[in-house]
Amino acid sequence: MSVRLSLTAAAALAAGLLVAGSAFAADPTCEPDKVATKYPSLAGKTVTFGADPQTPPYVVRDGADLNKLNGIAVDMAKAVMDCAGVKYKFTLGAWSGILPAVSSGQIDAMWDDLYYKPDRAKNVDYVMYMGAGTGVLVPAGNPQKIEKLDDFCGKTVAYGIGSIEEAATLKQQEVCKSEGKAAINTMPFQDLAAGLRLLESGRTDALMWDLGYIDFMAKNNSTKYSRAFSIVSGFQIGVGIGKGKEDLVKAIYDGIRVIQADGTQKKIFAKYNTDPALMIPAEIRTK
Amino acid sequence: MKRSAKLLAGVAVLFMVGTAVAFAQAQGQSIEDQASGLSMQDPYAAMAFGWFWEFLNYCRSTFLWEGAWVAVQITAISMTLGLLLGLVLALMRLSSQKLLNASAWLYIFFTRGTPQLLQLVFIFNALPYVGLRFDSFTTAVVGFSLNQAAFSAETIRGGILSVNRNQSIAATSLGMGPFLTLRRIILPQAMRAILPGIGNDTISMLKLTSIASIVFVNELTFRSQQIVGQNNKFFTVFAATSVIYLVMVSIISVAQAWAERRFDLEKDTRTDGGAMSRLLGFRLSREEAVPDAAAIAAAGVEAGEDRSSIDTPAEAAAVAARDSDDLFRTIVNADADPVPRGEPLVVCHNVQKDYGSNKVLRGVDLTVKRGEVVVLLGPSGSGKSTFLRTINHLEPVDWGTITVGGEFVGYEPVAGGQPRPTGRLARARARARLSMVFQHFNLFNHLTALENVMEAPVRVFGVPQAQARETALRLLAAVGLQNHVNHLPHRLSGGQQQRVAIARALATSPRVMLFDEPTSALDPELVGEVLTVMRKLAEAGMTMIVVTHEIRFAREVADRVVFMDGGVVVEEGTPEAVIDNPRQERTQRFLRAVSPA
Repeated sequence: MSVRLSLTAAAALAAGLLVAGSAFAADPTCEPDKVATKYPSLAGKTVTFGADPQTPPYVVRDGADLNKLNGIAVDMAKAVMDCAGVKYKFTLGAWSGILPAVSSGQIDAMWDDLYYKPDRAKNVDYVMYMGAGTGVLVPAGNPQKIEKLDDFCGKTVAYGIGSIEEAATLKQQEVCKSEGKAAINTMPFQDLAAGLRLLESGRTDALMWDLGYIDFMAKNNSTKYSRAFSIVSGFQIGVGIGKGKEDLVKAIYDGIRVIQADGTQKKIFAKYNTDPALMIPAEIRTK
Repeated sequence: MKRSAKLLAGVAVLFMVGTAVAFAQAQGQSIEDQASGLSMQDPYAAMAFGWFWEFLNYCRSTFLWEGAWVAVQITAISMTLGLLLGLVLALMRLSSQKLLNASAWLYIFFTRGTPQLLQLVFIFNALPYVGLRFDSFTTAVVGFSLNQAAFSAETIRGGILSVNRNQSIAATSLGMGPFLTLRRIILPQAMRAILPGIGNDTISMLKLTSIASIVFVNELTFRSQQIVGQNNKFFTVFAATSVIYLVMVSIISVAQAWAERRFDLEKDTRTDGGAMSRLLGFRLSREEAVPDAAAIAAAGVEAGEDRSSIDTPAEAAAVAARDSDDLFRTIVNADADPVPRGEPLVVCHNVQKDYGSNKVLRGVDLTVKRGEVVVLLGPSGSGKSTFLRTINHLEPVDWGTITVGGEFVGYEPVAGGQPRPTGRLARARARARLSMVFQHFNLFNHLTALENVMEAPVRVFGVPQAQARETALRLLAAVGLQNHVNHLPHRLSGGQQQRVAIARALATSPRVMLFDEPTSALDPELVGEVLTVMRKLAEAGMTMIVVTHEIRFAREVADRVVFMDGGVVVEEGTPEAVIDNPRQERTQRFLRAVSPA
């Protein structure tokens, strides 16, 4: 009796594992009709993504029709949410107000140029999809011959206040000092547009910002700007989702896996002059 | 003129700098379409003065104007709510209730002391935890309203404090309650001081709505930043945005100018020159006030006399003056249930009052009979004005009783003890029908002579406008002011103002008139015209209690003279007895001092 019972149990277990395993192993597919079974809490809901539309090439207004949005995050959100069959909208606000609104539940997620940081992961869950780097933008032809961080010594460099670029520049400042070279003249700025004006007016020799943006600017304005060099920062970009929204995390994760598998994500990167090599496999990070 | 000149200069500089920058920009620019998802052909790059057309194009951008409309909506709603709430806070700050005052102070302290940006983030992101979930627009409206309330509370409080306290004392003496006084008398005058501050605040708020982008409000500035984020054309976009702000601010400035003109006391008459003249700084036409003689004549006709022969203001005036005795008599005898002539009307018993340690009244007894004219004499500081104000309960008594026609004014009896003050004091004052004439006239500065006289009958006693107007015109004619009915007080001489004040006091058909040094603030040559009116009133049989230093008036008109000193009645009797043959040493000393040698 006991042997038969255990055999039955083993068979049931094996069958169960098989089913579960196959479900796990199978690539996710787009089944927009099955929202209610796949992501029950999203059925009939409109998901709200927060973004600051001053962050090309991630989220930006359409030049031809200002009431529309463009960018990597916008195109990816459309592909992913259409795949899941869930309605969504972007709500636009100033950068620093977006994560607090995700934490308080006023909006569901932030989909923009959002870096993963352990501190941020305490308040939001991430679905990662892109590697980040730092780009250095200089006037076309790179007149100051800035080709690596060491060349910053004695030059003027602009970067966003509190950014990873600031940390990198200040680290280089120490190097310049210890090697007895001229110091870097640092120019931190509040917002990107202000930084760009510094470069345009010749007040700074170089502008440091997210690589995606620098590449975008250099390629779109080749007569004005060049990319001097880039640094692989090791930072990664993902969607930040409010805690406790497991179905939304799963829907975005599934959708990104689909568009990574069928090449859509790389096409989107290419559309915005972003290096397709920056794509990283989708990954959920909850801390 | 100065303001618009500055504005023009500013716009000119803006354009000059703009020309230079945009021209330089156009020189170095040639954008190729690289089949990117974001780049696009720049239609203005190849044009001559392309920057200018681009700028014009942004000036009429519906995307930007929609943002402007959001800013306007937030400002309009928040300003309205903020002002209403600010008025409540201002009144709480002015309240003598410590708890009300302190809580308003605390609110203002916190709201003004914390950054508005953080207030918005707090309302948007923290209140959901206690179940209050506002959308972006509502958050902005709530945030700006609450913030504006704190600032406008102080502006409004300043405005209220800038109105002379005599204004509310006069309103109170006419039986107007605190809220009626606030609405009709104090606020209209405070507006002059309040409006420039409110105009400032409105303009500030309109521009400051841009910080609401932190809670996802897409107003003008944030939208312009988004365009710049897209194409980096900051000069043309920001210049166009500034022009849109200028247009909106200009509208606010015009509205402010109109409102200031509306509440301006300097203008001659009620006929409005319009906001344009205020903007231009001069009047387009200059018309003097037209005396309303025809209206007076018409009032006379309605009174039942044939005035068909009257065709000049002077004739109308002469006829009106002849009416005055009749009119005064009508008022004196109007009392439906009169205390018979010669019977006690005002009875004061052992009235005592302190100001802190200073004993002002030490037990005053006085009975005034109906139809009697009593003159109170005494050195300054003797307590006579204070005593007068206890009779109509402008000042509460600490001890003793005062009755008018056998009834308390705003007190209720306590078995075996001192009567205590009741609520609804204004109603009690109105019912007692005591009216008062002040040393400094205390006319309502924002109302014409006619409106001053009509105010209490219409607002307190519910007399229909037309009837109140007719009575007021007759009263003003009776005191000889038929040519000044449409003048504001500041256009009248002191003597004329005091005669308006007497007409105003008479308009409530008083049973007793209290005069508090009515001629002391007048130039000597103007004293006579006021005393003439008072003499006529006395002859008509009005019950009058008069505090004055006019010894001659006392001797000729008073039935009885009461001499007060040190808070008590020292001596009283007929004018002959008190003035000509004073028994008390203090009375003799006083009379020697005030009488010409």
